[in-house]
Amino acid sequence: MNNTAVATSELNRLARFIWQELKPRGKWLTPFNIISIPTILVGLAILYFRFVDGIGSVTNLNQYYPLGIWIGFDVVTGVALAGGAYVITFVVYVMRLDKYHSIVRVTVLNGLLAYIFYAGALTLDLGRPWHMVNPIIGNSFGYNSVLFLVSWHFLLYMLTMAVEFSPVVAEWAKLEKVRKFLAGLTLGAVILGITLSILHQSGLGALFLMAKPKIHPLWYSEFIPLLFFVSSIYAGLSMIIFEGTISHKVFKDLLGGHDQHHYEEIVFGLSKGAAITMFVYYFFQALVFIHEKRWQLITDAWGYWYLLEVIGFLLVPCFMFAYGVRNRVIGIVKVAAVLALIGIVLNRLNVTVIAYRWYDVVKYYPSWQEVVVTLMVVFTEIWVFRWIVTRMPVFSEK
Amino acid sequence: MEFYTYVNIFETKGLEYLLLLSFFALFIYLVRYLSGPGKEAPVAEEKSAMASSRNAGRAQAAKRKRG
Repeated sequence: MNNTAVATSELNRLARFIWQELKPRGKWLTPFNIISIPTILVGLAILYFRFVDGIGSVTNLNQYYPLGIWIGFDVVTGVALAGGAYVITFVVYVMRLDKYHSIVRVTVLNGLLAYIFYAGALTLDLGRPWHMVNPIIGNSFGYNSVLFLVSWHFLLYMLTMAVEFSPVVAEWAKLEKVRKFLAGLTLGAVILGITLSILHQSGLGALFLMAKPKIHPLWYSEFIPLLFFVSSIYAGLSMIIFEGTISHKVFKDLLGGHDQHHYEEIVFGLSKGAAITMFVYYFFQALVFIHEKRWQLITDAWGYWYLLEVIGFLLVPCFMFAYGVRNRVIGIVKVAAVLALIGIVLNRLNVTVIAYRWYDVVKYYPSWQEVVVTLMVVFTEIWVFRWIVTRMPVFSEK
Repeated sequence: MEFYTYVNIFETKGLEYLLLLSFFALFIYLVRYLSGPGKEAPVAEEKSAMASSRNAGRAQAAKRKRG
């Protein structure tokens, strides 16, 4: 057989294989499907009107409030929660802590999907989304702007994570030579990915440096890029614990080789990292608090809201993580992860939406269409995640 | 004319230095606390090893009593 015939038969095999894999598996009538399918369909209908009639037809955004929950939750919060990918790849490939190797693939997949869907949600929020390509092709774009850095980093980081995850796809498609080649690229991709992540996690915070008069002084700080970066570390770790807990229940049959003791040791290790990072972050917050003499601002409702975020959803989960690790109580650690995640969501929403133009009498609140589209993005990501983990070797490795 | 008082903890950033020092002290404590022994749940092999050593100890004590 000549080379062309071999290539054609291989392509045919691949096409048949992918066609087989695309067919749905498992039960259709599950609580998640019953909720998510109508939400996704309604979300798609809303998106049709958003692109035909313009962004103002389905959102409460205007010239005074250009950033709604599509940016505040999907992009800014979603990217922080995806921080686990760069933390875990750093721990496994750079620090060589093999204990966490079993969660690398699933964490990278989560990070990749989070960037594709949450950073991809940026397309929905831009008034003229076709201008999105401008930073990449250098069409009249401010090369000194933070947004230039962030947009390039989003693109490059998504490509880096795609390279990190590509050996799994090759393994699934039974392309052994391709898998070996792609696996050889992993370390380079990881190092590039960590560098990009550190810069754009802080870069997202730096975007708000120019909004000083608009953000409440309790949330605005010149150190906001540093605060965004440090908080993304524990946000990512907490997200891994949270998602790991759910995956452990939902995909129990796919995790055959992983025993409970090993899983708990990983969770305690991640919690230790989260406790230390939260402790450092808390002191950064305290230092900024004193440096900017914020004690004059905590006597009103905004002050109480700030204290709830910093004490209730930062200091308390930090102590809970520490206590849980010390006494090996997995339940406390899981509750701490949820509280820490709520704290991150609150912090990012405070900066982008809640404490933004805090002095206005009539404030922005998201329309029901914005909420449905946000849910649609989350549900679609879960669908794709579920499709991939039930077909590709995400929980196991050669 | 404004006065700068060298003993004012707010003006001299004394409070920030104190916070930083307390951070380092507490950070060491936190790391030691997290690295402490803890109540690690014994795995099955450890449990059986502990049980067998306990049984051996009891047998020895009984032997000594008889002797």
